[in-house]
Amino acid sequence: MSDSGYIIEMKHITKRFPGLIANDDVSLGIRKGEIFALLGENGAGKSTLMSVLFGMYEPDEGEIFLRGEKVRIASPRKATEMGIGMVHQHFRLVSNYTITENIILGSEPLKRVLGFIPCVNMKKAEADIAALSEKYGLKVDPKAVISDLNVSTQQRVEILKMLYRDAEILIFDEPTAVLTPQEIEFLLDIIRGLRDSGKTVIIITHKLEEIKSVADRCAVLNRGKLIDVLDVATTSTAEMARLMVGREVSFTSDKTEAQPKETVLKVEGLTVEGEAGNEAVKDVSFEIHAGEIFALAGVSGNGQNELADAIAGLKTAVRGRIYLNGTDITDLSIRKRTEAGVAYIPEDRHNVGLVLPFTLSENLALKRYYKDGFSKKTIIDRKAFEENGTRMIEEFDIRSSRGNKTVTAAMSGGNQQKAIIAREIALKTPLIIFMQPTRGLDIGAISNIHKQMIAERDRGAAVLLISLELDEIMDCADTIGVIFDGRINRIAKASELSVNEVGRFMMGVEDKQGGGTNKVRTGGTAS
Amino acid sequence: MKKLIVKLMGGERFQTMRVSLFCIITSLIVGAAILLAIGKNPLAAFGNLLQGSGLMPKSSYAGRQNMFTDFMSFLDALTPMIFASLAVSAALKAGLFNIGVSGIMLASGFTASVLVGQSELSAFIAKPLVILIGIAVGAIVGALIGWLKYKFNINEVVSSIMINYILMYIITFFINTFFVDPISRQSKTITDSARLTLSGTRAFDLKFDVSLAFPLAIICAIVIKFLFDRTTTGFEIKAVGLSRKAAKYAGMSVPKNIILSMTVSGALAGLAGVTYFCGYFASIQPGVVPSMGFNAIAVALLGNSDPIGCIFSSFLVTVISKGSIYMSSQQGVEMEIADLITSVILIFTACAEFLKMYVGRLSMEQGGSEEAGEA
Repeated sequence: MSDSGYIIEMKHITKRFPGLIANDDVSLGIRKGEIFALLGENGAGKSTLMSVLFGMYEPDEGEIFLRGEKVRIASPRKATEMGIGMVHQHFRLVSNYTITENIILGSEPLKRVLGFIPCVNMKKAEADIAALSEKYGLKVDPKAVISDLNVSTQQRVEILKMLYRDAEILIFDEPTAVLTPQEIEFLLDIIRGLRDSGKTVIIITHKLEEIKSVADRCAVLNRGKLIDVLDVATTSTAEMARLMVGREVSFTSDKTEAQPKETVLKVEGLTVEGEAGNEAVKDVSFEIHAGEIFALAGVSGNGQNELADAIAGLKTAVRGRIYLNGTDITDLSIRKRTEAGVAYIPEDRHNVGLVLPFTLSENLALKRYYKDGFSKKTIIDRKAFEENGTRMIEEFDIRSSRGNKTVTAAMSGGNQQKAIIAREIALKTPLIIFMQPTRGLDIGAISNIHKQMIAERDRGAAVLLISLELDEIMDCADTIGVIFDGRINRIAKASELSVNEVGRFMMGVEDKQGGGTNKVRTGGTAS
Repeated sequence: MKKLIVKLMGGERFQTMRVSLFCIITSLIVGAAILLAIGKNPLAAFGNLLQGSGLMPKSSYAGRQNMFTDFMSFLDALTPMIFASLAVSAALKAGLFNIGVSGIMLASGFTASVLVGQSELSAFIAKPLVILIGIAVGAIVGALIGWLKYKFNINEVVSSIMINYILMYIITFFINTFFVDPISRQSKTITDSARLTLSGTRAFDLKFDVSLAFPLAIICAIVIKFLFDRTTTGFEIKAVGLSRKAAKYAGMSVPKNIILSMTVSGALAGLAGVTYFCGYFASIQPGVVPSMGFNAIAVALLGNSDPIGCIFSSFLVTVISKGSIYMSSQQGVEMEIADLITSVILIFTACAEFLKMYVGRLSMEQGGSEEAGEA
């Protein structure tokens, strides 16, 4: 077996969960020193397969061979001992510990004070980590505290954690989902560097461009089954997408020319405070018309959250006014604004968009439960809840194990997002704010959401789309605004801006004529 | 073993109820082991608990007493426990821990004792007045805790513990200074017309206590159940309890619902106070916080903070606490052993959430193999 050149071989892996088969007879071989991508939609079984490899689940059937030997990986600890490391999508870091403390946690180097009292040898640890970060080009300050770091640095810490444990096989679960375009480039460089120094890398992703740019081979999973293993260099992204979704996918959303009418949202000189009391949004003014998608591009943490929250009423404006259809809504409560006509799909679907322990039907009624038709004189009409739920579940194809009665915490991310979008669209408001609506979703779900967004525009709604994905902005926008450091530094028709121009404005390039020599301001990526 | 656990407690249907039952049975087994270890017959001892609560006939009775009289006095003890556990569960729905039930009980019991308990009012006016005062005093203190939470973001656990002490010492001071009964060293006994328990009622040749507030406790449980399950107010409070951010996003007022749920919780604790100090008892012992307010937390958790569940868990815990007096006299078992068994139950209840999680994980792990077996 060992001379097959595979460092890992997974043979006939089957893993079942109640009600579904997450992995159905999957057989894979991964070569030493390659970047191997696992491609598939949400729920295709990528993460489960890697969790099996990392010892978090044991397969019901099948065998794993590591370096030619049959192994049983019973726990993540075992996996670590065998040289397998994993960076989870949601980082596992202690936020009030330093980088060094986080990295050594569980395998601390010891020293004996006075010859017998065991203590953590922090000096040695820090030196080791500094050396590691030097070697792999992962610049970090070993003494920095995690909570002060931005997401991309935290990810670097996770990578260092694996390297510190001498991992040879590195698994990345959706590593780019939380990163900005620039950070993604940087990460992909790091991953290439890791391969070149002899590590084996496995990436779970559903972003085709990344696979194309970094991976050597790629396995496509669909509904738990292995569809194919492809040589990335000789396969087109369109082909990969077709295999992944199981049907042809059009990359460009077919949308007609916008027909903007009267002004719906008018923001004038809006200033909003951020978490730290700083001015996160500074003197921002713009308008959105009925039948127009206004897309706000920007690197994460440049005031987008605060701007959306301020329009929806979750944050109060320090200065400036917000008008909806000519009425000043700046001082209205959240509820009054919803009733005045603001629908909001928030970025954080787990903590904000849904009451996770509530059932699906309850969440689908979350903004209208008090209205006639859902309750009578404060007495809730359960039947109306159910009917409303059933209608939305059908119309928006929300999939769950128990329909209306499903606890939303048990639903997949894509379906949770569908539920939120269904609820907000059903409000039929003149303004809809989509904040990062497709984050972490697969191609099929993304194209669905884009279609819905465009349908809302065509219905005559004003749509504010805030996204970190440049492709999404370019695909959907009628008008593009670019926010940097709390200011909108460019507003233009989508047709008048190229991707590169938008990218430059996102980095804070001030000279509109653009060029490589412009001064680039950094910053604005606070976590 | 693991399979058995999953079989017993896996799945969603009635899971909380089955987990609660599992907790109770396990704790009874542990209790039996303790009794065996000190050389007593656990079955006889558990029987004594039921006998002492009027749920099983004793071998002999004193004059004018039988199983019915025991049962009536059991109901009298059960009433404040139901109110107290409802108080805890009402706050839990909003994600708040009301540790202040004890202090509120003292405050409402004391206020009612002083204002009505010493007066000449007729029973028809005095008894409803005692209840109203209980509700009012409790609601005010509860609202205060809720207000402190939202206005100054003071953790309700801290503020309610402190309020317990503040109220206890103030009331102790007033009892000792103005209302002390020189013989019993307790507060002056309230008049029969103010008391919510008809003590020493004679009928059918028997002498027994009638808890007038017991039906009210049952009604309250049903009303609270309705409030949380079927009204928009309950929907809001639950949403606030489960996710403050999502509730705010949905346009609900988080402060309003926090204060509201604490007010309801306080009012229920106030009812517990008057049924305890102006019903089950007729006076207040100074310098002591009633432990019922703390037991109620565990009782509410055992009842899965469901109002109807609270009735059953209150029933169980009262059987043990009330029956233990008889058990200790019959078996020569110390009262502390009964307290110990209650404590064991409470500890196992605290594990209920963990159990649910553990079972969830086990059934995940086994899910595959079970399905394979069925296929």
